Amino acid sequence: MRAAKPDIPALIAGLALLALGGLLLAHALNVVELSFALFAPVACAATGAILLSNGLGRRE
Amino acid sequence: MTTDSQPSARALRRDPSGGWLGGVCAGIALRYGVDRTLVRLVFVVATAAGGFGVALYALGWLVIPAGPSTGRRRLPTGRGAVEVALGTGLLLLSVLLTFRGLGIWFSDAIVWPLVLIASGGALIWRGSGTPVAATPQADVPTAALLKGETEERSREPGRTAAAISRTGIGIALVIAAGLAFLQATGALSAARDVLLAVVAAVVVLGVIFAPWILRLVRSLTEERSERIRSQERAEVAAHLHDSVLQTLALVQRSDDPQEVAALARRQERELRAWLSGRPPAGQAARLAAALESAAADVEERHGVPVEVVVVGDSDLDSNAEAVVAATREAMTNAAKFGAGSPVDVYAESSDGRLHVFIRDRGPGFDPATLPADRRGVRESIVGRMQRHGGRAQIASSPASGTEVELELPARSDR
Repeated sequence: MRAAKPDIPALIAGLALLALGGLLLAHALNVVELSFALFAPVACAATGAILLSNGLGRRE
Repeated sequence: MTTDSQPSARALRRDPSGGWLGGVCAGIALRYGVDRTLVRLVFVVATAAGGFGVALYALGWLVIPAGPSTGRRRLPTGRGAVEVALGTGLLLLSVLLTFRGLGIWFSDAIVWPLVLIASGGALIWRGSGTPVAATPQADVPTAALLKGETEERSREPGRTAAAISRTGIGIALVIAAGLAFLQATGALSAARDVLLAVVAAVVVLGVIFAPWILRLVRSLTEERSERIRSQERAEVAAHLHDSVLQTLALVQRSDDPQEVAALARRQERELRAWLSGRPPAGQAARLAAALESAAADVEERHGVPVEVVVVGDSDLDSNAEAVVAATREAMTNAAKFGAGSPVDVYAESSDGRLHVFIRDRGPGFDPATLPADRRGVRESIVGRMQRHGGRAQIASSPASGTEVELELPARSDR
């Protein structure tokens, strides 16, 4: 039986959200000081990765 | 015989014929199915932000091997294209913000206007693609050109509106970049004075020279239209010569009514397909297959062996179609006038160029003494190659056979 192919866009979206959640959790636990200068690039990178993988994986 | 030299579709290769310098951006774009303009934009901005772009590009040039630029990977379209563009933009923004946070930064007054200019410039370049009507031979069936379909195509409302809005947004971004730079450097008020002076000068000169400018524009437009019409006429003449006239010549030589009927039916089918602007039934989609099919057809019609060797392959775009048509005409001439000698065809598609040699060992002829009414060589071979931006060279002399060399750049969807 062949293993199911992973859904790459969903995988990347999940990982990006995990990273964002982890960062916010670290901020809530006072592990990192989350400033706008730090959060903005991370948020942009996460959103960009999700959109890019979704766009490349889309079949039209 | 066909030798296909296409590399593995998964390997990352530079695309020198599709690139501006070493084809690094074009190769990356081809490998990952991203618009090459976006990849270039990333390198430009990385260069502006700290000079990394240049180092990365040089490294890519050294490390990534060059590959032949046959076959283009299909870019995402519609919503997928929007998502890819937005995603790439956001990733780029995150890289820039990171550079800024790390202090690897020239200055806000330089980098952000540069980003805006690069984005706007990319949009303007993409929006200013040559309209279909500007090149009559570009991917448009000649019969469709005859019916004036090109103008209708270029006026398709959706595509035109999208191109105009892309160009408009691009222009707005470039103007915003200029204004942001002037504002950041405190030169906005001085620039306003200069702008006013320039506007005043343009208005004054415009009023004075308007009649001459209008006349010049009108004359250039008329000249362009006449050139396009003349090219269309030549294309139609070449097509009719290669198809209808050749068939009529065969009909005149044939004594077999069944053969004549078969020739007439085949010609009718071909002519109907051409008039309706669709490819003839069974037409190959690749250069090698089309050349072999044309050779088989010439062999069948004239009973002369035609040996074809093709190295490399490419899609059958308008330029490749022109090469196939000119090759067919050269093969037909070799079969008709080569005194039954075999015809050898060698074709090569590499480095963005198509090269074909057609040779026979017949009695040969002196190309300088070719009668003016021989349209086959003049229009169907030499003229056709010239109209598509290529060249044809005929080397022949009595008793030494004939070699026709055709060379044409392969079209690219840059």
